[in-house]
Amino acid sequence: MTDTVNARGATDSDLYTGAVGATDAVAKRSGGSFGRFAARFAVIGVWLLMIILFGLLEPSTFLTVGAFRTIFGSQQALVFLSAALLCTVIVGEFVDLSVASNFGLSAILVTVLTVTYHWNVWAAAIAAIIASVLVGAVNGLLVVKLGVNTIVVTLGMGTFLLGITLFVSNLMPVSGLPPYFAQIALLNVGGLPISFFLGVVLMLGFAYILTFTPLGRNMRFVGENREVSRLAGVRVTRLRLGAFIVAGLIAGIGGVFAAAATGGFDPAVSQSYLLPVFAATFLGTAILEPGRFNPLGTLIAVYFLATGVLGLQLLGATSWVSSVFYGGVLVIAVTISTVLHAKSR
Amino acid sequence: MVRTDHVPQRLRIALGSGVILPESTEVRAATLAPPVPRLAVESLYMSFANNRVLRDVAIDVWPGEIHGLVGQNGSGKSTLAKVLTGLYTPDAGTRIAVDGGELQLPVRPQEARDRGVAVVHQSLGLFDHQSVLENMRVGRLRGSRFLRRIDWSREREAATAVFERLGRHVPLNAPVGTLREEDRATVAIARALQDAHAGTGLIIFDESTRSLGRRSLEHFFEILGEIVSTGTSVLLITHRLEEVVDAADRVTVLRDGRVVESGREMAGMNEADLTAMMLGRNLIDLEHRGAATIPANSTPVGVAGLTGLGVSEVSLEVSPGEVLGLTGLAGSGYDDVPYLLSGVTHADAGTLTLLGATISVPALSPASAMEAGIALVPEGREHAGLAMSLSLAENATFPQTTRSARSLFPIDRKRERRIVSEWIERLDVRPRERKASIRTFSGGNQQKVLLAKWLANAPSLLVLHEPTQAVDVGARHTLVAAIRKAAADGCAVIVAGSDENELALLCDRLLVFEEGSVRAELRGDLSPDTIVEAIYSNGSRSRLRGPRSEVHTEKKENN
Repeated sequence: MTDTVNARGATDSDLYTGAVGATDAVAKRSGGSFGRFAARFAVIGVWLLMIILFGLLEPSTFLTVGAFRTIFGSQQALVFLSAALLCTVIVGEFVDLSVASNFGLSAILVTVLTVTYHWNVWAAAIAAIIASVLVGAVNGLLVVKLGVNTIVVTLGMGTFLLGITLFVSNLMPVSGLPPYFAQIALLNVGGLPISFFLGVVLMLGFAYILTFTPLGRNMRFVGENREVSRLAGVRVTRLRLGAFIVAGLIAGIGGVFAAAATGGFDPAVSQSYLLPVFAATFLGTAILEPGRFNPLGTLIAVYFLATGVLGLQLLGATSWVSSVFYGGVLVIAVTISTVLHAKSR
Repeated sequence: MVRTDHVPQRLRIALGSGVILPESTEVRAATLAPPVPRLAVESLYMSFANNRVLRDVAIDVWPGEIHGLVGQNGSGKSTLAKVLTGLYTPDAGTRIAVDGGELQLPVRPQEARDRGVAVVHQSLGLFDHQSVLENMRVGRLRGSRFLRRIDWSREREAATAVFERLGRHVPLNAPVGTLREEDRATVAIARALQDAHAGTGLIIFDESTRSLGRRSLEHFFEILGEIVSTGTSVLLITHRLEEVVDAADRVTVLRDGRVVESGREMAGMNEADLTAMMLGRNLIDLEHRGAATIPANSTPVGVAGLTGLGVSEVSLEVSPGEVLGLTGLAGSGYDDVPYLLSGVTHADAGTLTLLGATISVPALSPASAMEAGIALVPEGREHAGLAMSLSLAENATFPQTTRSARSLFPIDRKRERRIVSEWIERLDVRPRERKASIRTFSGGNQQKVLLAKWLANAPSLLVLHEPTQAVDVGARHTLVAAIRKAAADGCAVIVAGSDENELALLCDRLLVFEEGSVRAELRGDLSPDTIVEAIYSNGSRSRLRGPRSEVHTEKKENN
């Protein structure tokens, strides 16, 4: 019997099965490698061009250590929020609109509990983070267990939380966190606040999990096709629920750092993060791994956006420029990436 | 009913033009002169980046014929279909004409439809969340006179009429997503058929019959026969050579992106001839194979009292080394067994004896089934088999890591590369590009990756559902050989399928289901004919389409 099998096996290799496909791919590869390279690094190229351009136009203000510090030292909130959004987007939950409000909830809770209710600041921080995790869990239960539409749940939750933070803070910015608490975010490490490095570590860790570990691969597969994942033994429900909870956790931690950095929080501010978070996360799909949500691309996108906004402000534009830039860049960059990706396919 | 375009040229010359001819019943049998083709494709070139996938392709579909289009996976068949439906833009210089009038390129679906071209896609193009009725009538809904309300009772009548013509009953209010593959295909076919007006139009079927059972298939071709006899044309793109041999009037064969046979008359051709044209050589006969070697003193895998979905109280045994087939009519429950046994669908009752342990089937989850050594290769590689935009390597090794206890430690890349290379080699997956996304592979190669994904998990019980659906002969050969090899290596294999040719190649033993339980068992020499006979105990396996000449010969030409 084994002989028969071997004989059959031998005939297999002579069989013609789609050799056209093989030659196709070779041809595609030689023709498409530039396109693929361009798709991966186009945005980074634009970033460099932008730096050169602003450098030429505003050499005295843009090419300074101060500008560098502003760009890299001021975006921690955005980094944490994009990481939170990535958690759910990667497992296929399209757009969690409550991340910004959840972040605001945590920031305002830690401040109010410490300043108004005289809690120990560390206990307040932990309580604030727990509240954010609970919000993530409620989102997850509604979306994953009960099957309610993600956008509806998170839009409602975001608005609800915004109202709660306004109520808790009595519609006013609250401040007065102890100065030593600020050190968790502002401690100077090599000229940049420590929270910058925490943000980078967070994104690197996230990228490591996604690229190298079974957990990351499960997340990608669930995002891509739930049924395929379920049939392969992934506990899909648990993973999706986990993603919402971790998203809440990251948003909560981000909120505490934001409050620490400024010594308090203005509840009206959190909503202004929503568009930049989406701009960064989607622009991230045009960087490094075209067509995929990826943490490192998102991290680069955050600083790309910050560079553009700062450069334009130094050129004399006022606060309107950030909306124009965030919105415009998002559309243009994603369009270019999509076109390049389609060509290189 | 006189169609001068069908009159032999000699005759037309003899009679002069404009002469009214007597009605002829022999129109279809007559040697046809090239009339104005319903669909004419000329010098079609198609490139991706700087890579030509179609070269100088030409096809003429005449009025009132079924024109087969065959070719291996990767021969350019699907690309051609996508050009015809406007998904791809062909290179400049291509001409596509319907009834002599040239179409603008790329083909615009609306224009094509206005000219009478309907398409049934391989993926069927259905809206899963909408009802059957809505799917049927989308784009054709008409408002009432004043309020522009949709008159649902009228729509319902129209849809019912089409299903009646098809001889199939599909619940009109059910969301399409809840239907079985076969019913989904029926809905898509019905949607295309409803626009076919007598005497005009062209319907393109792109692999749309792949999930139809035998009876539906015969019925489908009966209706197709009726439709083309009115003068409507059909372009049939298919892997089932039997369909072309039995039903097509002429065939065009693609190989390596070129036309190797253009509009060849099918009369007198058989499947072997077609295969030879597609491959450029003859395929080694697979049908002669040794009997299964069941290792002595091996304990068979036993299923007892399996109940759930459409099955009740089913018991069966399969030994390591044996391939057991399950078949039956659509709805008989045979195709529920794979999903119940692998914990994918919840079973109500039943036990499974595997490797000396007795497992309760209702307690199985996909994860625990995998741990117990059960692997399921499901039907429908697009929605349940593979994650299309992830890479070959990621897909092929996915089950290896999903249950890893060390889920935050790095995946062993070397081991992964070794597994992928080994299986690419063993199943001859082409092109050999581990990092290419699975979407870029042809259907046959995707199916090989799907099989490799589960074989690599070294199961003790391998359960498959339609494992060679919609793949070409070459890939089918490889898949069958790989499944038999897995059995020879000591795996117990259960195959649920409706394709008698596939089952005849694969199985040592066959269980025929009826109304949720096993009605008959076939052993020994399984031929497609005996299988069909057993499935349709009261019927025979008739030709897909009646003979095209007047002589009534109810004879099978093949198998």
